[in-house]
Order: sequence, then structure tokens, then C-alpha cells
Amino acid sequence: MTPTLRKSIPHILMMAYVVVILAPFLFILFSSFKADNLAIALHPFGLPKKWEFENYREAWVKAKINVYFFNSLYLAFSSAVVGVLMAAATAFALVRMKFGRISAWIYQFVLIGMLIPGNVLFIAQYLLVQKLGILGTHWSLFLPYTAGALPFSVLLICAFMRSIPRELEEAAIVDGMNVLRMFGQIVLPLTVPALVTVFIVNFLGNWNEYLLSFFFISKDSLRTLPAGMVQFRDAFQTNYALICTGIVFSVLPVLVLYMFLQRKIIEGLTAGSIKG
Amino acid sequence: MRSTLKNPYVYLLFVLPTIALYFLFFIYPMLTSFYYGFTNWNGLDTKDYVGFANFANAFKDADFRHSILNNLIILLFSCCIQVPLIIVCSLLISGVKRLQGFYKTTVFMPSILSTSVIGILWGFIYDPDVGLLDKTLRSLGAPTIYWLADTNWALPAILITNAWQWMGFYIVLILAAILAIPREIDEAARIDGATGPQRAWYLTVPLIKPIINVVIMLSIAGALRVVDIVLVMTGGGPAGATDVMASYMVNKAIKYSDYGYGTALSIIIFAFALVLTALYQILFARRQERVEF
Repeated sequence: MTPTLRKSIPHILMMAYVVVILAPFLFILFSSFKADNLAIALHPFGLPKKWEFENYREAWVKAKINVYFFNSLYLAFSSAVVGVLMAAATAFALVRMKFGRISAWIYQFVLIGMLIPGNVLFIAQYLLVQKLGILGTHWSLFLPYTAGALPFSVLLICAFMRSIPRELEEAAIVDGMNVLRMFGQIVLPLTVPALVTVFIVNFLGNWNEYLLSFFFISKDSLRTLPAGMVQFRDAFQTNYALICTGIVFSVLPVLVLYMFLQRKIIEGLTAGSIKG
Repeated sequence: MRSTLKNPYVYLLFVLPTIALYFLFFIYPMLTSFYYGFTNWNGLDTKDYVGFANFANAFKDADFRHSILNNLIILLFSCCIQVPLIIVCSLLISGVKRLQGFYKTTVFMPSILSTSVIGILWGFIYDPDVGLLDKTLRSLGAPTIYWLADTNWALPAILITNAWQWMGFYIVLILAAILAIPREIDEAARIDGATGPQRAWYLTVPLIKPIINVVIMLSIAGALRVVDIVLVMTGGGPAGATDVMASYMVNKAIKYSDYGYGTALSIIIFAFALVLTALYQILFARRQERVEF
């Protein structure tokens, strides 16, 4: 075996893997521009003969992908923001404020949440939101999403805050700053890298969440993308081009985000799993 | 200056909302699960205490037993087939200089996407009329397979989709551990004349054992957490062939409002998760010493 050949074996194998990952996406992308099932069936691999941009308008408006899209966007965003701020405040109180023993207990208590698999709580959460009278509203997703992200967020932000030197805060105290302003003007800005990581992880988690959003929301106009997509597929079972268009709409924003923030995303998601 | 950081009102303001929300949506549901699990509540009638009847019924329920079996198949598939492949792939990626970042980014990509959308996407690929897979297989002369409608093929189809989505995530985990190994160790072995595969097997793999253990633990937990993909791709069908514990539980609760029985099933899932990870810890992970550089 020549050295060049030996050197290229890993590349050949990994390229095969990359093709397996990317081929479905290209297939979906091309199919989304094709006129109908026949055009897909005849040339599954090729570029469309005629580019049907009409599919996108039809899926966006008629199939209500736009509604699902904005529901997902604002739910994922608001819940991630609120979750990050709550976790940051809690982490600050636990790590920096002088309530040693109680803080240690609270920290342990919150971390127990990471042991509980999400789907185990499904029925009990369903009954809970029913009892609270918010079943079928966006609150029934916003609250569990925000709560569900807390253990991981508190863990990660606490770890980050412990690594920040205390001098700045001590100087602020000497200057007579009160604790609320200190948190807002000194601690939060210093913690931004961790906050961004946690925000991205929570945002992606909420954006992708399916189980709760499918079963807790029954009104079509309130559905989020993952649940709406399933609904959409069941309704347009036979129109594959349109389904592919829907997939593109839901996958594209995440991929764009990933293109710009891949290091942060990978770091955040893997940190969450290892530390948990 | 101490008093600033000892302000109990601010402390409560910062801690209480988190604790309250966390308690309401984590601890309280966990506690009520244990309560409902011992009742026969169906959403309408009174909740009657029925002792362990739900749990006994669950293990007598042939459909549920089948779903446990499916969970175990998924677990074995991910630990015995996926994990070795994951290790090989991360070794391959760690060995190349060019395109390393590209491979890492690409293989990781499916794990950031929604499982439900991936289920739809792969459902389309498995489609016997227009799907990508069938076109490819038929051009090679294979007969048409109704992947998701065939009781023999539906579960493998889901296993493949699940592996496609998650393998990259674990590859990146292990890759990070491999790249953290000091280069000198590898170079010393190279100078001693060890070949690439030898260095990988005798040097790298033992050094990354802790992270392999983490990956196996995560795979065990992941195998018990599988639910979205089943609900989206097959809904547990055909004829319960792909039902896993969680999808069976969701259907019981939502379709039949069998809350008492359903929560009992969720407690069983939780118990499985705890017992299996604890067993793995005791049997395998504890024996190894941590490697410190």
C-alpha cells in the first residue's frame, strides 16, 4: 500500500459518511422545487427540470407554515430568554451571595431534575396544565419549556460564574452599588459567553420540541413547527413536493444559525450532556 | 460590605421564581405520578387506590412487554453497533489534518434538528413509491420493501433513522476527548514503531475509556427516551411492531385517558432508566480508574 493511498482511506470512509448525511437534504431540497410526485419519482436524484418556486408560496401561506413558524419562533425565543435570565439570577445568588448552606442545598435540589427523563413527566405535566386551565394555550408550552431548561442552565451558568474573579464585584460593593444594579451592570455582562451558550441550547431545544407541542395544543393556529409539520404531512400525505418545502422551511433557520454559531452550538450541546 | 451580598430579599427574589417553576413542573409532576400510578383514574370517575395492580397489569400486558423488548433492541443496537462505529469514526476524523473541521461539523448537524422533522424526512425517503432509498435499491435489483408498513422492517428503519440523527453527536464528544490527549504520547509510540491501528487500539482507546463510558451511559438513557421518532414515523405501528414504552404510554394516556395506568408505565420507564444506568455503573464503569495526564 502506498503512503498516499493509506492516507486517503480515512477520507474515503468519512466522505461516504458525509454523503449519507447530506444526500437526504439534497433530495429534499431538489424535491421541494419539483412540480409533483411524478416529477420526483421519475428523477429522484436530478435537479428539477422546471423550478417550481410556487411551492414555497403555497406552503408558506396556504399550508400555514408561516403561522407555525412564528409560533415556534416567539415561543422558543421568549422561553429561552426568560429561562436564561432566571437561571442567571439564581446562579448569581447561589454562587456569590453569602447563604452557603442553603445555596448548596438548593443547587443539589435543582440538579436532581437532570436525572428525570423528560417523557416520564409527560402525563403528569399534561394533567397539571389541564388543572391550571392553560391546556391548549401557549402557556402550556412556555412554562414547561422554561422549567425544563432550568437545571442545565443553572448548572452551566454556576460553573461559569465560579470562574469569574470577584474583584470587580468587591470594588462595586465598596463604591456603594446595590446588589441589583451590580447583578445587572457587572455580573450579567461578564457572564455573556455562558448566557449565549445556554440561550442557544435552550432555543434549539424549544424550537425542536415535539411531544408536548403536539399533544398540549389542539388549535391549529397555535401549533409550533414540529407539531404543525406532522399535521401538515398527514393533511398533504400525497403531495411530497409540498411536504419537502415544509421541511426546508423548518430546517433552514437552524442550519443558518448553525453555520454562524457552530462552535458555540457544539460546545453548548455537548457540555450539557457530559455534565448532566 | 458583606451585608450587600447578604440581602435576604434579593436572594429570595433571585432564587424563588426558579425554585417555584422548577418545583411546579418537575418535582410536583414526579410526586403526582407516583400518586396517580397507584390509582385507576381515567379522568372522569373517582380516583381509587388500586395498589400495585397497574404495575402487575403492565407486566401482564403483552403489548407493553413487546414495547419493553423494542426498547431493549434499541439499547443493544446503540451500545453494540453504534458505539463501535462511533469510536471508529472519531478515530478516523482525529487522524486527518485536512477537512477535520468539515467532517466534525457535518456529522454533528443532524443532531441539532427536530426529531419530528427528521421523522418526516426519513418517512419520505422510505416511501415505496417516490422515496430515495427504494429508488436506489430497485436500481440495484432489489424488490420493493414497504419499510414502515412491514412489521419486519419498520423497527430497523427507525433504528437507522435514529442512528443517522445521533451518531454524529457522540462522534464529536469522543473526538474532543481524543484531541485532548497530549501529542507526545502518540509521538513516542510512533517513534517506537507502532502502526496507526496499533496506536489507536492500544493507546487512544484505553485513554478515552472514561468518555466511552459516558457515551454508553448516554446511549442507555437515550434508548429509553426514544419516543418522538416512533410517534412521527409509525405511531407505534404496524400492529404495535415499533411501539416503545414511552410511545405506548403516550397513546394509553391520550387516546384512552388511562391516566392511572399511563403514569404507572411512566414510573416503570423511570425505574428502567435508573436501574440500567446504575447496573452499568456497577458492572463496568466502576472498575476502571480514571486516567489523568
